[in-house]
Amino acid sequence: MNYPNPSHRDPQPAWWLLAIIAGFECAVFALDLLTPAGAAAHILYFLPIVFAVRQSWPNAVLYIAALASVFAIFTHLNAPAGSSTFIAVFNRGIGIFTIWCVAFLVRQVIVTRNDIERQGWLRGTQTELGVAVRGELSVEEFAERALGFLAERLGAKVGALYVREDDGNRLVRAAGYAFDARQSAMPASYRFGEGLVGQVAIEGRPMQVDDVPAGYLSISSGLGAARPCCLLLAPLTAEGEIRGIVELGFLGAAPAVAGPLLLKVSEMLGMGIQTAQYQRRLAELLAESQQQAEELQAQQEELSALNEELEQQNRALKESQVRLENQQAELEQSNQRLEEQTRSLERQKRELLQAQHELQNKTGELERASRYKSEFLANMSHELRTPLNSALILSKLLAENRPGNLTEEQIKYAETIYTAGNDLLTLINDVLDLAKVEAGRLEVSPEPFALTQLLGALEQTFQPLARDKGLSFQVVVDADIPSEVTSDRKRLEQVLKNFLANAFKFTEKGHITLRAYRDGERLALSVEDTGIGIPDEQQEAVFEPFHQGDGSISRRFGGTGLGLSISRELAQLLGGEISVQSTPGEGSTFTLFLPLTPSERVPAPVRAEAELVDETAGADVAPTSTAAVSFSFEDDREQAGTPGRRILIVEDDEAFAKILLDLAREMGFQGLVAPTAEEAQALIVRHAPSAIVLDIRLPDHSGLALLEQLKSDPASRHIPVHVVSVEDFAATARRMGAVGYMLKPVKRDALVQAFEALQQRLEQTLKRVLVVEDDPAQRESIVSLIAGEDVQIESVASAEEALERLSSNVYDCMVMDLSLPAMSGYELLAELSKTDSPYSYPPVIVYTGRDLSREEEERLRRYSSSIIVKGARSPERLLSEVTLFLHRVETELPPERQKMLRELRSREEVLEGARLLLVDDDVRNLFALTSALEPHGAIIEIARNGREALLKLDTAPDIDLVLMDIMMPEMNGYEAMRAIRAQERFRKLPIIALTAKAMRDDQDSCLEAGASDYLAKPIELDRLLSLLRVWLSSRRSF
Amino acid sequence: MDAERIFEIELELLVEAIYQRYQYDFRQYSRHSLRRRLARAQEQFQCRSLSQLQERLLREPALFPRLLDYLTVPTTELFRDPAYFLALRRHVVPYLRTYPSVKIWVAGCSTGEEAYSLAIVLAEEGLLDKTVLYATDINPRSIETARQGIYRADAVREASGNYRAAGGRGSLADYYSAAYDSVRFDPALARNVVFADHSLATDAVFAEVHLVSCRNVLIYFDRSLQDRAFSLFHDALVRQGFLGLGAKETVLLSDHKDQFEVISQDARIFRKR
Repeated sequence: MNYPNPSHRDPQPAWWLLAIIAGFECAVFALDLLTPAGAAAHILYFLPIVFAVRQSWPNAVLYIAALASVFAIFTHLNAPAGSSTFIAVFNRGIGIFTIWCVAFLVRQVIVTRNDIERQGWLRGTQTELGVAVRGELSVEEFAERALGFLAERLGAKVGALYVREDDGNRLVRAAGYAFDARQSAMPASYRFGEGLVGQVAIEGRPMQVDDVPAGYLSISSGLGAARPCCLLLAPLTAEGEIRGIVELGFLGAAPAVAGPLLLKVSEMLGMGIQTAQYQRRLAELLAESQQQAEELQAQQEELSALNEELEQQNRALKESQVRLENQQAELEQSNQRLEEQTRSLERQKRELLQAQHELQNKTGELERASRYKSEFLANMSHELRTPLNSALILSKLLAENRPGNLTEEQIKYAETIYTAGNDLLTLINDVLDLAKVEAGRLEVSPEPFALTQLLGALEQTFQPLARDKGLSFQVVVDADIPSEVTSDRKRLEQVLKNFLANAFKFTEKGHITLRAYRDGERLALSVEDTGIGIPDEQQEAVFEPFHQGDGSISRRFGGTGLGLSISRELAQLLGGEISVQSTPGEGSTFTLFLPLTPSERVPAPVRAEAELVDETAGADVAPTSTAAVSFSFEDDREQAGTPGRRILIVEDDEAFAKILLDLAREMGFQGLVAPTAEEAQALIVRHAPSAIVLDIRLPDHSGLALLEQLKSDPASRHIPVHVVSVEDFAATARRMGAVGYMLKPVKRDALVQAFEALQQRLEQTLKRVLVVEDDPAQRESIVSLIAGEDVQIESVASAEEALERLSSNVYDCMVMDLSLPAMSGYELLAELSKTDSPYSYPPVIVYTGRDLSREEEERLRRYSSSIIVKGARSPERLLSEVTLFLHRVETELPPERQKMLRELRSREEVLEGARLLLVDDDVRNLFALTSALEPHGAIIEIARNGREALLKLDTAPDIDLVLMDIMMPEMNGYEAMRAIRAQERFRKLPIIALTAKAMRDDQDSCLEAGASDYLAKPIELDRLLSLLRVWLSSRRSF
Repeated sequence: MDAERIFEIELELLVEAIYQRYQYDFRQYSRHSLRRRLARAQEQFQCRSLSQLQERLLREPALFPRLLDYLTVPTTELFRDPAYFLALRRHVVPYLRTYPSVKIWVAGCSTGEEAYSLAIVLAEEGLLDKTVLYATDINPRSIETARQGIYRADAVREASGNYRAAGGRGSLADYYSAAYDSVRFDPALARNVVFADHSLATDAVFAEVHLVSCRNVLIYFDRSLQDRAFSLFHDALVRQGFLGLGAKETVLLSDHKDQFEVISQDARIFRKR
């Protein structure tokens, strides 16, 4: 059946058909006019009326009939005369009557036909709507579809569908058609009786509003808006109850079929809404009951777990009860024994207390006596020294024999008096010291100082003596002792001098060694000789005052015998102790142990120092205004100079600045002088100096802050900076990129040297990089990574070699591994960062293969601001860090290297020809990985579990890398990796573990089991490729 | 603020603390169950509040394995719900037989009884040799127990009835040797079983499997975590692979209902479409 199109849903006149009919009627009229009266031409007037049945406007038939009647009458009056007038009148009368009868009949036919068509359309539309809303739909989907269908079919331009909430009296908007919720301020829900929507709900009848006032909701599109003319609201009911309201808005009048259609589908849509609501409720109830069922099950499980637990506890309780009973019996027995013992112990204790009391009394007496003695000695020594002093001076004068009136003999006497007096003075001094110590009057004043300096001084003092006696004398300092110790330098020196004096005294031939080394948490300073030695039974006695190893010794060697006892007392005062080891005839070793802990002065961590910098910067902010600091002399800023020969001197002390300026000119530089950091910055921007000499304490900002700024700005990063300051920030400044550091006061020579270094630096266009890495393949790969035309790379395999290079050369940057043979990376860094280290200290990049603990990282941060842990992205980072330190502007790099810096990932050639062993039992993974890796040129071997992997490695030992799954049957990944690592030849074989675990400690267990690296599933190809690149790049090393 | 509300806050903080400190993710576990279990743990560890328990947990790593025993409910028995195993024999085993090799994932295996039950079924069906069984759980102590395969004798004897109801063809005693109060399962049963640590809340799919048996685990999860688990299972399963759930669990009310069809509603066996 063919339903009318929505645009023709109302009977409309078919104008073309009516025009034809009218034309036809006129033709009949003309014919009728021409034919004589009596000819029944007017019969033909029927025809247009009959034709009119083809169109659908009922009243048109009546109009045609009326026109025909008029025509018939008119022609009758005007027709040419024919037959009898009466017959003609009669005929026409009958004709007109019949025309009207037919006309009414035809009209009835049209009306009926229209009605049938409309009914048919309504039925069809209803069926179609039924189809449109069929299926299991949610309430919203249902409303959406129903509304859409109705609006489309009725030509409504806007619409909304409200649904009644379960059983309440609320209507909620469930769907809108061309409904602009932003534009309309209307609520999304209505109560019954609220607004038109609510009113329709109460009345249960459709409602039509024809003249919608302005300002009512408008129909909007992207181009504009218009307000609807007519609104139609209709209820949707189910079993007589309102389930929803549909509201439609039309631009013109609402079509007549709209009302009947809405009435017709009301029940159907109402039922539909109800069904959808029921279904929703049902689903909710189902989910709820499922949750309750789960909850119940969980409770049940917990209950049975609890039960199990209780049973276990019960069993344990019973066991422990039996055990307790046994123990109690044992306890009772032992209790009795204990009581007896307690009684006897108490008796002993009483006796002991008594004895102790007596001892205390005795000790007190002794102490008093000893103090009296010491005080007496101290006083006596002083009294003795005064007259002795004059005796010494006078005997010296005598011995010089200025008047020349003494005989040889007399001069000798005088010299003897002088020597004897001197000996006496030494004795008295020793007695005095000892007495002071014993009387508790000697004080130590600890302060930090460089141990190496002290040892150097000692070496200088004793070396001539050693030459005289033909002994070899050596000072040996171990690397792991701190550069600075905090102690009383004078007392420490006294003790060591004493050791050395003794050693030289008692050694006739052989060697003497002064050694500084670390003994756990203590610093040990030992003097070893090959002298006469001390027998065991005498070793304690040598520390007694006035005692020497053998009574005869003092006669042979001289000396007071007080030195060692003083030394022991001093050592105690310094918080340490002295030990002696000796074999008679072979030699002795005296060792002074000092605590390291209070004197261990490590440089503060980076953060603390950074704060320090800030503080200095903050504290120093312009105490004197910038204008106030201006010098009386002129510098060279106004001269047109050669680029590359300008040196900027940042120094607020006028005199020193002038010295530096003169020196700079002397050396052929043009000097610029800035008294403040601010001016320095301005000068750097304006004149682009090629080197800078920088003071730290400046009136406005800290020099360190300026240094930091210089080094963080790409434009000034390359300028070498030499720091001259009164404060010791050497390590910090060096780390920040200063090429040198000098402590004020500075000797002229040192300044000249510094300028020379700067000059050399300026002339040197090649950048020098030192690579310290023990693995040859890694070393090679690093070298090739950072190689460039203007870079000279030197690579060494150990820290010792590195130190050797650093003592003679200056480098722009050092790349180092941490784990080096013999001396570790840490030790190397510690050695370099010592204040008075003889080595140059370039910026350091630590490039390490292992994960660092927090502590390790903190330790490293002191020496190097860039630590790179080898991994997927490490080559890129290494290149960028090296670039930073080499002061190379990125654009100066060769183009292909630039490309690498941007995107190193395109390097896939490393996979070409690499043999990978893929150990996984999951076919899907095997397939995915194989098809991903083979196109890159990798050769894939496959093993399905750990055992197969081991077999594969046996038969094909030239595997470059293993990808190891963890969860596998027979032998899992952990076991397999352990088994592989147990074989010496596979110690270095890279193994990448693949696991589905996401937990952090799982990574640790993989690495513990021997994995070189770790990748979590699901595997991202990019990450896998990066990892492979990293591990394969070193494959030539095993 | 009432005590209950404070307890709730503490509970949220505690599970967050556990996640950050130990990377065990209980944040999406069902709150009802967590509440009961943590209340009990608090009592057992003699803590005044969950906050105190949290403080101890953060500082005493030794405490965590013990708490884990409270958080993971180790209730399981051999051939629990015999109908499930019977249905496996009838509806699933015939399909498994068609694969050249079979992989099965027992997710949340607890102390391993379920894995051994399945291994026995597979042995009797002649499938054990070509099957790899992954038995995973988050509690390392449970996994260790499972790996040893030693259980209390009376519990195993009680399971004999279930074994027969599950279609057992011989005697359960054929599969273990008893000594003292314990029995030890034949190590041959566990030869192809991979016991491993795996968390449905944080970890990813590790293999392609033909059957996932995850029973009475999802009841402790909230809806979103259940959906995560279902999506893991869906990813792990081959097309037409099977999913076995606990007696009160269903995939039909989850977001994944369209991806599975029902094989046996009573035994809760589903199949990936």
